Amino acid sequence: MIRATNLHKRFGKVTAVEDVSFTAEDGRITGLLGPNGAGKTTTMRMLYTLVRPDGGTATVDGVDVVSRPQDARRVLGVLPDARGLYPRLTAREHARYYGELHGLSGGALDKRVDALVDLLDMKEIADRRAEGFSQGERVKVALARALVHGPRNVLLDEPTNGLDVMSTRAVRALLRRLKDEGCCVVFSSHVMQEVAALCERIVVVAHGRVVADGTPDALRASTGKDSLEEAFVATIGSEQGLMQ
Amino acid sequence: MRGLIDTVFRKELRDHVRDTRSLLISMVWPLLGPLAFFVMIQVVASWLRQDRPLELPVVGRQHAPSLVVFLERNGVVLKDVPDDYEARIRAGSLDAVLILDEDYGKDFSKGRTAGVRLVVDSSRQSAQRSVSRLKRVLEAYSRTVGVQRLAARGVAPDLASALRVDEEDLSTPERAAASLLYMVPLFLVMAAFTGGLQLASDTMAGERERGSLEPLLLNPTPRGAVVLGKWLATVAMAACSVLVTLAVFMVVMRFVPLEDLGVKAHFDALSAMGMALAVLPLVLAASGVQMWVSTYARSFKEAQTYLSLLSAAPTLPGLVLAFSPVQTKLWMFAVPVLGQQMLAGEVMRGEALGPWPFLITAASSAVVALLSLRFTTGLLSQERIVFGRA
Repeated sequence: MIRATNLHKRFGKVTAVEDVSFTAEDGRITGLLGPNGAGKTTTMRMLYTLVRPDGGTATVDGVDVVSRPQDARRVLGVLPDARGLYPRLTAREHARYYGELHGLSGGALDKRVDALVDLLDMKEIADRRAEGFSQGERVKVALARALVHGPRNVLLDEPTNGLDVMSTRAVRALLRRLKDEGCCVVFSSHVMQEVAALCERIVVVAHGRVVADGTPDALRASTGKDSLEEAFVATIGSEQGLMQ
Repeated sequence: MRGLIDTVFRKELRDHVRDTRSLLISMVWPLLGPLAFFVMIQVVASWLRQDRPLELPVVGRQHAPSLVVFLERNGVVLKDVPDDYEARIRAGSLDAVLILDEDYGKDFSKGRTAGVRLVVDSSRQSAQRSVSRLKRVLEAYSRTVGVQRLAARGVAPDLASALRVDEEDLSTPERAAASLLYMVPLFLVMAAFTGGLQLASDTMAGERERGSLEPLLLNPTPRGAVVLGKWLATVAMAACSVLVTLAVFMVVMRFVPLEDLGVKAHFDALSAMGMALAVLPLVLAASGVQMWVSTYARSFKEAQTYLSLLSAAPTLPGLVLAFSPVQTKLWMFAVPVLGQQMLAGEVMRGEALGPWPFLITAASSAVVALLSLRFTTGLLSQERIVFGRA
């Protein structure tokens, strides 16, 4: 479970995140929806401990991300905004490296990596060097290394950005599977359709604030609009983020 | 913690070793230095070889039997004179020709100043050395005979020479060879920088540029462990580079006529170990500073530019040491780069040093390494470093 309380972050004079609070339950997919520049990535970075909030805090399974970042990272699996690979390492070596950095080794690590290769359908690329991987293949490798330690909380920053239909489907299937296994899944997107297709719970962020929080139905009801699309426009006050 | 450092270390080395191109670049220096040394010392040795038999074609040998004997006794090989000697001297294939005519014999036996003609081309640089040697030999003969004549007349010969000039030529091949030897410590120290340059710029600046730094820092690994692992990989590359440079130098020395050049330098197993011991600690400091600079640089390219400049740093004390040897003082060993060059130089010349200089140089490098690693670890907790700067 991830709980954000009054997160606030400034970069110089620019306020990136004004005040963001929400709770993401286990066994659910929570979507962080908002137009570009709304503060989604900064919020995510505060949740996964690489940016220190100027105010407020967040807990992951009860672990405070500000005071105990290293413990928080243990229970988090993250697909960050930057998902660069090492061009000279194979897909499997990427997963193994991160597994070892999480303290896994030996047979347990082998089994875990094999399971991820199966799960992400990457047998063909598992022992190829990452140089020349397609966008979809790169995301698979990035997901494999993010999930190698079997985290109970998964954060994904725009996971389907730049992916083709097949890869997008594979990512969606993976997120559903994680949800079914009881994980707490949070992903951010600026594409409303993406969020609508997956989430039971939508947190809409605009101008660094949470402007709506609830199920898609609740969102429609609160704005009095029939379609989610209309509801989204009504909440953020503009049409930005509707189209891919 | 140890396991984590080891994990990062092994990953970085494996990653780097697979990059054949940059691996080759890292290994160019270790070969380049000793090769340049080999070529230069061969050039110097060839000057020396030119020096030895001084060949002199002489016209009219029969007019001056005693001069001929004197010349031969002073290592001059007398030759027959080719007809076109003037053309040959101009062309440079002949350095000088000595002409003794009939008057010489008459004048000489009457005790008058006897003229000899030395035909030279003073615009020929290559002939300068032979010509001045010849002049010295002829003057020596003139002096010797003069002294005998004065003595025969009961005059003290010293009266005739108010001045005695002792010339000390500093640009002998021996000296040139000795100063070339300063290249050995210089290139050893440079290898400590160039060996890890590629890895250092790739492992921090490159890591951020390709977007893999952020995911890497998401692991529950202490920043210090990440930095240490990467640093150790850089150290390993740099140490390899130093040892390869040293090994190639040792091989080159077997094919270089050091003894003919009168150079006293030790290149046995023991002094090789001493030089390794002198220079290897610098690897810790050099790699540490490289990590720091690479983390601070905005891009991979910027990192490489800075690190190349940094690699040139050892040439500064190197140049000073090569052209104006300074008196060694103990504090100098505490200056990284300078200390290692001096220490390696002393070992090479076979000086007995005792443990202190080694300990001082190693300790100062360790301090620099420690500081730069702390700075690097500190940088990694700054958001603007992790996410890059505009």
